[in-house]
Amino acid sequence: MADPTIKDFEAAIAELETIVKKLEEGDLALEKSLELYERGVQLSRFCHSRLEEAERRIEIVNERGELKPAPASLNLPDDEDEP
Amino acid sequence: MSTLPFDAPDPPKLAPVKPKSEGVPTRTILTVGELNATIRDLLENSLQTVWVEGEISNARVWNTGHMYFTLKDSASQIKAVMFRSAVRYLKFKPEDGLKVVARGKVSVYDPKGEYQIICEHMEPKGLGSLQQAFEQLKKKLAAEGLFDPARKRALPALPRRIGIVTSLDGAALRDIIRVLRRRYPNAHLVLSPTRVQGEGAGREVAHAIRKIERIEGVDVVIVARGGGSLEDLWAFNEEVLARVMAACKVPIISGVGHETDFTIADFVADLRAPTPSAAAELVVRRKDEFFGHIGRICERLDAAIHHRLRRTETRLHALEARPGYAGYRGRIAVRGRHISELAALLRQRMNHSAARRVRRHEQLRRSLDAFDPRHRLAAVRTRLVSRDGQLQAAVRRRIAVLQHRFGSLAARVEGLSPLAVLGRGYSVTWDASRTRIIRDAATLKPGDDVSVTLERGMFEAKVTRSPA
Repeated sequence: MADPTIKDFEAAIAELETIVKKLEEGDLALEKSLELYERGVQLSRFCHSRLEEAERRIEIVNERGELKPAPASLNLPDDEDEP
Repeated sequence: MSTLPFDAPDPPKLAPVKPKSEGVPTRTILTVGELNATIRDLLENSLQTVWVEGEISNARVWNTGHMYFTLKDSASQIKAVMFRSAVRYLKFKPEDGLKVVARGKVSVYDPKGEYQIICEHMEPKGLGSLQQAFEQLKKKLAAEGLFDPARKRALPALPRRIGIVTSLDGAALRDIIRVLRRRYPNAHLVLSPTRVQGEGAGREVAHAIRKIERIEGVDVVIVARGGGSLEDLWAFNEEVLARVMAACKVPIISGVGHETDFTIADFVADLRAPTPSAAAELVVRRKDEFFGHIGRICERLDAAIHHRLRRTETRLHALEARPGYAGYRGRIAVRGRHISELAALLRQRMNHSAARRVRRHEQLRRSLDAFDPRHRLAAVRTRLVSRDGQLQAAVRRRIAVLQHRFGSLAARVEGLSPLAVLGRGYSVTWDASRTRIIRDAATLKPGDDVSVTLERGMFEAKVTRSPA
């Protein structure tokens, strides 16, 4: 779900930081504050969706530079340290 | 038979040892010390400085700092000593079994009548040239600025894909996968397999890096190999690899050998990890730090908006307490309604608050790290859900209080409303959108729509004539 108003992860963080600073300075009208807050929530949701959207997967680059699924032997059993 | 040599010894050969006269034979008798001194003179004068190659055995460093040992090969051995002043300059530790090339002078140790070589310099055989090559390349690349701190790139906070360049069969790969599976479970890994030792391995590792940097989404590359001798790690000291690493489009983390091993690849890499698993840990740590950072920002975001609401609340409360400002109160009532709408909106947003998600994620991750998650997860979840519930309830309570206060304020203001004036036959004229009250006829022109409020009901009207 791409949000056209958010360029990328780094941009999202930078904007989020700016918003928090503005809110903390505290001279804003209530409506403006709420508007910024809403945007902040949207940005942080974006960051977390980025974290969660990565696919648990192992691939291998073959001789021709193409991606192939890695041999199953590399998908180490993870029951030793994961639920 | 008379022709056999032993039957007919050569008389002239014996002649010199036979006494020349019937008198006492001339004998030069040396003391043992004189003999040894003569031998030493002979040895020291005819063998000035020699280079000798052999294997060290029985090496012992005395508390004087001098080192005594034996140099040997398959057939022979010679005693050797290296004085403290020379030992100090050795760049390696001379150990039994090590093959070395030594430079020194042969001398005699008079008290024992033993000859020995006094070594002034020594280098490991074979390794010497590799070491030299390493130092030369390091110097050359450093001069070109390839190791400059300014060239080092920061790791991405959240790599879309993590590239791994190493051997498929090595322990390094398994170590990396294990760390990432545990601490970054949904990481997407891309492997570019390569030989990591032997002739031409440097070129192969370089090729594997070139292939993987072209893969879309690979935002960081780990170049790794498990521990080994200097020869085993040699691929990572080759110039061809250093050049490709320096030109790579994405940041590279090197994790080669053990903590004490430094290779040229380590110097060129954007970040050097002491081991392959440490390289994976660096990727994980960067991600965790970043999400910790986002978590803290979100907490500040929440705190700031709560603070802002509290300020509004306080101000309204102060106004509430001021008697006799009916007109103001009317306006406050309008604003109060507006605020309560915003508060409702806020409550709705709060239900999906990002900060809670961050906290939940962070807590869960920490718990997973700290405990055996299989047994603890259910408990952790219950705890988180109840904490979540508490937070949500707190926010709701707060907003309810706020709303209640605005509501009662609005109700009280109702009593003082200008509507009472309308009951006496006055009316209020608004602009078409009912956002502005018309107080001056000059602001109207023919064709404008207006809206008029009476005591009971309202109607729309159109201006037909300009004011006189």
